[in-house]
Amino acid sequence: MAPQLTLQAPLQLPPSEVPAYLNRLWTDNLKDSSGAATFTLVVWEPSWLQQQLIRTGRADGPITGLLNDQLLEAAREAIGALGLPASTAPTAPDVAWALGQLPGSHGAEDLRGQFVDRAISAHQPRRLITLAPTLAGDQQLESTVAAYCPLPEERGVSADACGDVVVLRGGMGAMQQGLAMLQELIPSDLPCWVWWNGTMDESPELLEALAVPPRRLVVDSSIGEPRRCLDLLVQRIEQGQAVNDLNWLRLRTWRESLAMVFDPPCRQSALDQVVQLDIDVEGQHPVKGLLLAAWIADRLGWHLLNSFWIDGGAGEGRGIGAEFQRSDGQSVQFRLMPVPVGVSKMHPGALVGLRLICAPPQRPPLCVILCSESGGCMRLEAGGVASMELAEEVVPLPNESEEMEMARLLGGGHDSTNPLLASAAALAAKLLPN
Amino acid sequence: MAATQTNPLRVGLRQERVISPQCLVIFGASGDLTHRKLIPALFELFRQRRLPTEFSVLGCARRPWSDDDFRNRMAEAMADEVKQHQSAWQQFAACLFYEPVDLQQDEDVVRLGTRLEALDRQRATRGNRTFYLSVSPAFYGSGCRALANAGLLKDPSRSRVVIEKPFGTDYGSAQSLNRVVQSCGKESQIFRIDHYLGKETVQNILVLRFANAIFEPIWNRNYIANVQITAAETVGVEERAGYYETSGALRDMVQNHLTQMLALTAMETPGHFDPESIRSEKAKVLQAARLANEDEPWKCCVRGQYSRGGNPANPMAGYREEPGVNPESTTETYVAMKLFIDNWRWQGVPFYLRTGKRLPKRLSEVVLTFRKAPVQLFDAAGGTPTANQLVLRIQPDEGAGFVFDVKAPGSGMRSRPVDMHFSYDESFGEPSDEGYVRLLADAMLGDPTLFTRSDEVEAAWRLYTPLLELIEDAPHQLPVYPYEARTWGPSAADNLLAEDGLMWRRP
Repeated sequence: MAPQLTLQAPLQLPPSEVPAYLNRLWTDNLKDSSGAATFTLVVWEPSWLQQQLIRTGRADGPITGLLNDQLLEAAREAIGALGLPASTAPTAPDVAWALGQLPGSHGAEDLRGQFVDRAISAHQPRRLITLAPTLAGDQQLESTVAAYCPLPEERGVSADACGDVVVLRGGMGAMQQGLAMLQELIPSDLPCWVWWNGTMDESPELLEALAVPPRRLVVDSSIGEPRRCLDLLVQRIEQGQAVNDLNWLRLRTWRESLAMVFDPPCRQSALDQVVQLDIDVEGQHPVKGLLLAAWIADRLGWHLLNSFWIDGGAGEGRGIGAEFQRSDGQSVQFRLMPVPVGVSKMHPGALVGLRLICAPPQRPPLCVILCSESGGCMRLEAGGVASMELAEEVVPLPNESEEMEMARLLGGGHDSTNPLLASAAALAAKLLPN
Repeated sequence: MAATQTNPLRVGLRQERVISPQCLVIFGASGDLTHRKLIPALFELFRQRRLPTEFSVLGCARRPWSDDDFRNRMAEAMADEVKQHQSAWQQFAACLFYEPVDLQQDEDVVRLGTRLEALDRQRATRGNRTFYLSVSPAFYGSGCRALANAGLLKDPSRSRVVIEKPFGTDYGSAQSLNRVVQSCGKESQIFRIDHYLGKETVQNILVLRFANAIFEPIWNRNYIANVQITAAETVGVEERAGYYETSGALRDMVQNHLTQMLALTAMETPGHFDPESIRSEKAKVLQAARLANEDEPWKCCVRGQYSRGGNPANPMAGYREEPGVNPESTTETYVAMKLFIDNWRWQGVPFYLRTGKRLPKRLSEVVLTFRKAPVQLFDAAGGTPTANQLVLRIQPDEGAGFVFDVKAPGSGMRSRPVDMHFSYDESFGEPSDEGYVRLLADAMLGDPTLFTRSDEVEAAWRLYTPLLELIEDAPHQLPVYPYEARTWGPSAADNLLAEDGLMWRRP
């Protein structure tokens, strides 16, 4: 917690002593304070990519859990060296898995849980618990605790703004063992956020145990097997849990850019006349594209008739097709295609382009094309769009880190899922063919 | 098939900034402003999901209401809204609480502190509090003191005070009030609200100026001949006679709303888009502003008062005939004046300000008139060439227009003016948030950009001090000219511009 004042050196304790130690800390040592009445943040922080890059000597330590430019660069180099497709995103689990097949035994200090982004620590979590699984599956459970207060110049020195940090580190088996103790550490009277900062299809039993409603779950549906990602989103939302998806949040600029095209009232009637929707994505992860398509379909009141796989032909991956029915009974064709890119963006399935064709009666068709700032979308610009009224926009790349997004959520969250995400996730799950 | 009425893709996209968990404490919760503006604005924020779950509103007033009384009264006052969104209202109403508090009574304030702590625990609002003083201006100072004495303002990052206008009645009283308020907390905790700054189009002045490369190079004395700022109302004094008799148009409109428009129009480019940079530039330009003739202020200012008008079908009473108004009143309902700004950008460029009640149209606008082309190559179809004008329409028909000459159709080469038009409605369709929605959200976010800082307030009062002193000491030198209701003010106001060879724009 960079901007804060450490009340003690981080202390390594036997895991079984942690709950009692923290109780003592707040009742004896800091007895004038009950700590910040804010929230608990539990972070699942496997950082497999960083651990594997360091182990194989492709990156330097320490292990922090934070993705910086050097790490991303090292991951991109590894993608080439490992023979993975160039469109593979650095954060795709395939990269860490492939690195895991290589020999290497470089070590580094593990400081996960102790490097917390300033944007998050500014919200003064009452308790920040990091679960840091190690590559060595048989490593025993270790725990570190520390208490923190804001620096005097950050705000008035008031002990009721203090918090503590707990790090649980060990192999996967040890993580399971620590689970019971961890539950004891989560104060029941404060909101609790569980940030699953890993693949959505790993350690399902841990996720199940950690993300118990009403705890608020933060996931990233761009990481993990697409079916599992979408099903998990839908299942959690249907249970009434507050779910936040970073992959959905990263769609913000696309949603805003598309909405801007239809802000002028003279264009809005065209939204009732959409006949075709095409989305291009990087690589083989369709969830982001499906969420965008589902959001559009939901907002425009389309009914899904069917969805199917499309063979992209030699050298291209499988796409997804679907047919919707508009509220006036007319058909809307949807295509989502993976396209190869030279340098992929950070997360799997980043959007390359979107094309929406509207066919208003007695008027020339309107074609809206949105292109990613970092790449063209020539495929979408072909096919006779020159004869249509063309509205073309470039979508800016989001420039906020995961931690900034997370801080935004922590700053003022809800105990229910955003209804737009809830609707879009349910429809996206149906759009993904079995 | 019926056309889509609003942009369905726009729904839910206005969640740019998230308000932190907190408790909004409204003093004067039994008053009009609470149920007419504040609670509706909060309900709007709630429906837009811009309020966190950990949120509460604590209404405070002397009346011995319970939480349920408060909720029921707010629901009654907003019956139409509540009926339309019943389920949302049920959830929102659960955030509403009430505590009978008289800020002049120490034990009440102590009880308030206890209640706030309980609400923090109950609603997990983390000790973040915004105190909204919707009380008589006479209680601003003592209200702040009471909060400070109870320790409720001690953490600048977690407590804020919002104060309604008027902030003082002249330069001296504004200074005194600032001293009191600043002794209770840091300047960063004080949010002086001017609801004009909540208007989208007022904020657009900043964006238009500083997001477009084409305007700033010509936004100065080399290209601009004069600036007119108008805020016209069609209504009379209505039920505000008691307040208006002591304030008049100068204090009610010019010192705050028109001056803010002036500051945004004339300020220098801020180094950064952050609250302090912007407010510093606004304060600097107001400190450089002066009446066109400070020694003989009656020569650069005209006051007026509406008299009977209208037509036989819709007769309108004169100001002195309005209920609650002194039949001999010399309170102005109209002011027009000429200012200069003594800096490199604006030296010698007159700024004309006018505001009035019972004028023919309700509108606010800023009009920048550019210098004429140095050489007239073409005959003007209208007889005289037209100067370019940039018109920033604040309300209604929010938008902007640019007047420029084009070739009149036909065989000759005559020029005639045309209007290039931008309209918020045509471009965006969606209605803007009501000013209080934006300002309440900003206050709770701790973003003071759209709130006036102490030096801005003082500079604004100091600017008009010669006029206020003249009205106080020698009112005969600044007479109140009558004007017929629903006309554009007294003819003396036209003369003010005629002396410079100009005319008011007739919008």
